[in-house]
Amino acid sequence: MKVPYEKPVIRKVQIGLSNKFGSLYGRHIRPEIDGVPVSDLVTRFGSPLFVFSERRLREKYRQLYQLFSTRYPNVQFSWSYKTNYLDAICAILHQEGETAEVVSEFEYEKARRLGVKGEEIIFNGPYKPLSALKRAAEEGALINIDHFDEIYDLEEVAEELGRPIKVGIRLNMDTGISPQWTRFGFNLESGQAFDAAKRLVSGEKLILCGLHCHLGTFLLEPRAYAKAVEKMVDFAYQLQEAFDLQIEYLDLGGGFPSRNRLKGIYLPPEIAVPPLEDFAEAICDTLLSKLRPNDFPKLILETGRAIVDEAGFLITTVQASKRLPDGTRSYVLDAGVNILFTAFWYNFRVELEEDVPGPAEPCILYGPLCMNIDVVADQVQLPPLPRGARLIFSPVGAYNVTQWMQFIRYRPAVVLIDPNGQVELIREAENLEDILARERLPERLKL
Amino acid sequence: MAETLVVAVSGINAVDNPGPGLGVIRSLKEDPELEVRAIGLAYDAMEPGIFLDWLVDRSFIMPYPSSAEEDYLARLAYVQQVTGLQVVVPTLDAELPIFIKGEKQLEAQGIKTFLPTWEQFELRSKQRLLELAPRLGLSLPPTEAVSSYQDLIKALDRLGFPAMIKGLFYKAYRVHTFAEAEGAFQKIVKEWGYPVLVQKVVHGEEVNVVGVGDGQGGSLGLMAIKKLWITSLGKIWTGVTIKNQDLIQATERFLEEIGWRGAFELECIATDDRIYLIEINPRFPAWIYFATGAGINLPARLVRAALDLPVEKDAEYEAGRLYIRYTYDLVTSMDTFQRIVTKGET
Amino acid sequence: MNRLSRLAINEEGFIFDPITGNSFTTNQVGLWILERLKKGKKEEEILAEMLEYFEVDPETAERDLTDFIEQLRNYKLI
Repeated sequence: MKVPYEKPVIRKVQIGLSNKFGSLYGRHIRPEIDGVPVSDLVTRFGSPLFVFSERRLREKYRQLYQLFSTRYPNVQFSWSYKTNYLDAICAILHQEGETAEVVSEFEYEKARRLGVKGEEIIFNGPYKPLSALKRAAEEGALINIDHFDEIYDLEEVAEELGRPIKVGIRLNMDTGISPQWTRFGFNLESGQAFDAAKRLVSGEKLILCGLHCHLGTFLLEPRAYAKAVEKMVDFAYQLQEAFDLQIEYLDLGGGFPSRNRLKGIYLPPEIAVPPLEDFAEAICDTLLSKLRPNDFPKLILETGRAIVDEAGFLITTVQASKRLPDGTRSYVLDAGVNILFTAFWYNFRVELEEDVPGPAEPCILYGPLCMNIDVVADQVQLPPLPRGARLIFSPVGAYNVTQWMQFIRYRPAVVLIDPNGQVELIREAENLEDILARERLPERLKL
Repeated sequence: MAETLVVAVSGINAVDNPGPGLGVIRSLKEDPELEVRAIGLAYDAMEPGIFLDWLVDRSFIMPYPSSAEEDYLARLAYVQQVTGLQVVVPTLDAELPIFIKGEKQLEAQGIKTFLPTWEQFELRSKQRLLELAPRLGLSLPPTEAVSSYQDLIKALDRLGFPAMIKGLFYKAYRVHTFAEAEGAFQKIVKEWGYPVLVQKVVHGEEVNVVGVGDGQGGSLGLMAIKKLWITSLGKIWTGVTIKNQDLIQATERFLEEIGWRGAFELECIATDDRIYLIEINPRFPAWIYFATGAGINLPARLVRAALDLPVEKDAEYEAGRLYIRYTYDLVTSMDTFQRIVTKGET
Repeated sequence: MNRLSRLAINEEGFIFDPITGNSFTTNQVGLWILERLKKGKKEEEILAEMLEYFEVDPETAERDLTDFIEQLRNYKLI
């Protein structure tokens, strides 16, 4: 009978760094996702593989919607396409009752093609081509204006359509957080927003009916939202009195955090990220205290990350291990920053498919790219991993399958696990034809 | 009450920038009625407390507070399982959020704490002192929170030198030039993240108050001191008890206003006409034994409060009691070190 | 290899180097290899013994042994 084996390891005891945990703790095992073994998923669909959980996605939406709808009577969630515009993900959230929030003509077209009606689309963003504005206006989409030039564009469209267009304007303001996203929308404190409204009303071609803002991203300060609500409600009443118009909606944008570990934040997300309830409370309590009796404009939320991030996992496989000259252990994985764009911002949770014996040590995880920046995770405590070991990264549901890039490698498959544990392919892995489809080689250059 | 009480205390790193743990343990052991068995919670195998067996009965290495909450709580559960842990007195800023948010879970497991609520903890955060100071009748040196090097430079332009560069949890550097400020900023960001605080230096007497709030607006004892001699790291080396009425009143207002529960330290600078609030620490200071030596055993009172035992509340002490910190040398075998390195416990 | 012979190694895997004052920790397989290196055994002999003694395939064992010896060299223990 042979003795069980674990990889031999020796470490120098470094004073000031001699803390042996994570070797005992911090080793997290995830043999399955929603009941489906990781090994089955890889056997069927390959590695790397993005896996989305329909159950988690629906639950998160319902939880968040409930947090707001139980506190305020008129709430609408609008799915932020840029966060994840895979048809299957959007369809689930539209089924749940979300409208679509798009920021480009591409996203607009994608939403329409999926079957979302024009009037169920919110069109945001700093650049909306004239043709896109025209289509959106024709189809009754809700357009939030970003700058003065867009006012002129939309007036032109209104003239062409021969009827006024209902619009909102995007605001930027000081809510005590930094950086302030002043590049989008009209500034409130400087009076720019009021000027925009004045200009808009005097043109008589556009009807101002909503206010929009988006404070930033991954915000950990619910009080900033309270401040924004306060300022927006004051501004809405100021406009109503000055121009005799009706503000029908307040669109607070998104920016709520997920339980991801943002780089540069010391405490773990379970502690550092305030519960979403705190955001709902800050927003709704302020609305109810600031609004006049029986005035309940529609509260729109464009929450993306907080809904989808934790529903997404990435399975990846160790392809090689390497010891760096300074003694640090490193691994080469089949997934890099090419498909895991958010690795630039987050230290993901890294889980092992199965336990591996041996003490953990701090490791660097590299992706497959031939570039020095391709670091997926730094200083992760891992036991000595054999080649072929699988790691599961999470949360990765937000911004990766939209910001990934086709650099050097094909983008991998994306699957969805339905609430009954059935696995469906929602995006095939790419192949050479996908990439060649748009290329043209002039006859004279053919080899 | 001869039954042994198992209390875990962190911050047993009695080094040049000492943690409060050993002062807390020494105080607990001097209580004539409590029979305390002290468990040291350490983050490094070289924390001196691990080796001082006349104070710390057993030590355990903990995962860093930055690791996943479930890992941290699992380690505490293990400590409880092998030692019968009943009360924890966390003494380090960075670990307080985990203990405060985990309070109910710990309580259900039979581990008691006596800590501020999350709201109270947030309210005294360095970023929010601006709102709090006026409510206590205290002034605040001009302070700005910065998250980039550009903002740091702008803030220093406004505040001037010398300035303090501070981390959200720990570390404060006094800087005199942009180069020093940049170095301090980078060190803090690397270890403690954003934002970093920049504060104007005000000149005056360094005065402090230590105490325990009862959670209902009252105190379980408090004591004021003045630092007489400070090390190059800004740590007290000698001090003296004082009775500054303005300071005591501000402290009482602090307890009343926010109903603080648990240990606290008010760090202030007193000038002729006003008192500046520098920081409110949500825990005991490293010199906590000073209070015990002067007649108010705050750690023992806090542990009693955690256990719902009757607690003395008087705050009688003499002004003019002197505190002298000193160093001490210990020579020992490698046995304890080997054990803590290989097993993570002694 | 005489550097190795001076090391104080306990069965928990704690290693103390009396010349440099450095301490190290190793796991059971590391300890097992160190014992053999200390006796002056060659890498090939140790590898053959590893395959006899442990539940491990030749490729993994060779790779791990090379890596382990690389680490010892890195720490200037051999």
